Amino acid sequence: MKNTINRIVIVGGGTAGWLSAGIIAAEHFMGEKSSSSDHNFHLVLIESPDIPTIGVGEGTWPSMRSTLKKIGISETDFIRECSASFKQGTEFHNWVHGKDDTYTHPFTVPHNFNETNLAPHWQQLREKVNFANAVNPQSALFDKQLAPKNIATPEYSFHVNYGYHLDAGKFANLLRQHCVETLGVEHISANMTAINSVENGDISSISTDTHGDIQGDLFIDCSGSKALLLGEHYGVPLVSKSQFLFNNCALATQIPYQNSEDPIQSATLSTAQAVGWIWDIGLPTRRGVGHIYSSDYTTEERARSELLKYIAATASEDAAADATIRKITFDPGHREKFWHKNCVAIGMSSGFIEPLEASALVLVELSAAMIAEQLPANRKIMDLVAKRFNEKFLYRWDRIVDFLKLHYVLTQRTDSQYWIDNCDPSSIPESLQELMDIWQYQSPWHRDNYHVDEMFPSASFQYILYGMDFKTQLDPRFKRTDREAADKAMGLFMENAKRTEQLVSSMPTNRELINKIYKYGFQKI
Amino acid sequence: MSNYVVLSPATHKNTHVLTERGEAQGDSIQYSLIYPLEFRNIQSCYPIFFSKSAETGEFFPIALFGFENNENLFLDENGWSAAYIPMMVERQPFLIGYQGASEDDLKPIVSIDMDSPKMSEDEGQALFDKDSQPTEFLKAMMTKLESLHHGHEHNKGFITALTAEDLLEPFTLEITLDNGSTNQLMGFYTINENKLQELDGSTLADFNSKGYLQPIYMAVASYARIRALIDKKNALTK
Repeated sequence: MKNTINRIVIVGGGTAGWLSAGIIAAEHFMGEKSSSSDHNFHLVLIESPDIPTIGVGEGTWPSMRSTLKKIGISETDFIRECSASFKQGTEFHNWVHGKDDTYTHPFTVPHNFNETNLAPHWQQLREKVNFANAVNPQSALFDKQLAPKNIATPEYSFHVNYGYHLDAGKFANLLRQHCVETLGVEHISANMTAINSVENGDISSISTDTHGDIQGDLFIDCSGSKALLLGEHYGVPLVSKSQFLFNNCALATQIPYQNSEDPIQSATLSTAQAVGWIWDIGLPTRRGVGHIYSSDYTTEERARSELLKYIAATASEDAAADATIRKITFDPGHREKFWHKNCVAIGMSSGFIEPLEASALVLVELSAAMIAEQLPANRKIMDLVAKRFNEKFLYRWDRIVDFLKLHYVLTQRTDSQYWIDNCDPSSIPESLQELMDIWQYQSPWHRDNYHVDEMFPSASFQYILYGMDFKTQLDPRFKRTDREAADKAMGLFMENAKRTEQLVSSMPTNRELINKIYKYGFQKI
Repeated sequence: MSNYVVLSPATHKNTHVLTERGEAQGDSIQYSLIYPLEFRNIQSCYPIFFSKSAETGEFFPIALFGFENNENLFLDENGWSAAYIPMMVERQPFLIGYQGASEDDLKPIVSIDMDSPKMSEDEGQALFDKDSQPTEFLKAMMTKLESLHHGHEHNKGFITALTAEDLLEPFTLEITLDNGSTNQLMGFYTINENKLQELDGSTLADFNSKGYLQPIYMAVASYARIRALIDKKNALTK
């Protein structure tokens, strides 16, 4: 067995496969010209010509901007070729009372967040202005479908932070082309027929129907929910999280705009239903809409009729009648570990959970980035890197579960058993319960970040907590001792109001900006 | 706001254009769009930078006249005191466009801004004579407008070449005046001289054949004019 890790084989070519390939190849190939001549790193991606990709995961985090930049794709090309638009956060409807309530989770952290925690100061203003609008200008852009930047802003730069909504199929195509043509990734179109092992249990090669055996030192399983390598071959089990997060089905469809110049939403819309919620993602070319629900609490038929009702109300009766609906079922949860022997799973093969906070693509980015950065030099230390990787991502999955669950436990809805059960203490992870207990007396801030690379910053917790009417009791000691801080906070609220007004009056709409990008493109500087 | 109408002897037989320059004539501008073809003349008077269109995000070259909005340090009691005035300033209040059935059959269409402060009914230069024929003033203006059109096309290629080679970079100019006050000039771009020095022979040859190389060096040379501009500002704020 060779000692050095030089050949990486990715099995599966959806968004997870090609995004991983791009991230790893950009790290290891881009400097190829200047590096030593014995540099023989090789990355192969095997993609089955017969298995269609699932094409979910159409919302990203702001992290995608730096990921794309690192991979070397221009933002103009990305937006033009992936039917991408700007996502500035999520707008939640009916999650609190079930009727006519709205709150937002913008991507930009509260004003001056590093130095000042505005949350306790906002408590006194809560009857006058909602939390997100008080501390941040971004949510004010949502109502008018305004963009986070304008055509003169350089690519990947912004006025307010943003990620993307995109067409997953087109995204995989762009990544494939860039990986093969620019980053030197070898693309093999073939079906896997066997997995071959050596004595210690490592995978030595993948047999294919048309390209023989593909040797490798490290195998990345991007085969989707089947997890052909980590799950089927190694038998690493799935750890279900359905006791916390009940949703296990999705009905997905795409609906056209009535008019090609209709506004494009700036945020993912998430509208709570009797059981589950409906996502609504606006691309320049179409909307992607779907109903996530739990089959333990409702039937497919009822979920379908709620989805059609939503489409009829937000588009038209005709759009509802014409909708082709696709059903996806999943067991919410993740693999017991993600890296076993010389095989690591990325994407749906590693786990899947409802896309309430669009965590799927960001997990791919984080996984691939860690592999790229910490690529074991040789087989000997691979087990140690694997151990670290597993610890890190088990922690991240737990945080995702906590954070998603937070959206449910704060509801005041009692209109269905689904919402009632979601608030049952037995369905709340202990780690989340502890946080909730603390937050009754102090609002989340930097002290709540245990790791420097925490997935959800404490700002995100603030947006959900105070968006959903959570009450943090004011410390009575605060009033006497902290007059100065209160004055400073009032100044920051005023600054934010001014900046909000300025942005709302100067930003173009998403549609206007996208049209300009098609016509002129962004400048690099 | 501008109000351009197509020029015709019938509509404009009494129209006159004021040729004096000054604040009242709308010349209090901080910068003007310029063309690479005039960089040699520009650099003898003004610093050359690049700015971005708010409308399209595209770059265009400019000559700088002041450090603040609506500040033109070249305006004084005698008008616009400089050896050379940029074509885009000269052409006002006219505009040229082309219309036609095909690319080969384009006819120039000249428009005039009726809301320009340079418009007059009785003072200044007439546009048409008694026989409705263009005056010498208008003929000279037409010639300028045509070279402007060529300058525009050449400029497009020039900017494309600069951005393709990453030759532009953002910069911030901080100047301290004699009275101690500071002015910060932001939002402009300059030629990246390090990148310029790294250009290979074939790119340089290509730039040279297209008439891009000389204007690039003219722009670099023009930075020496910043000092003169600061001196003008100092003289005013004494």
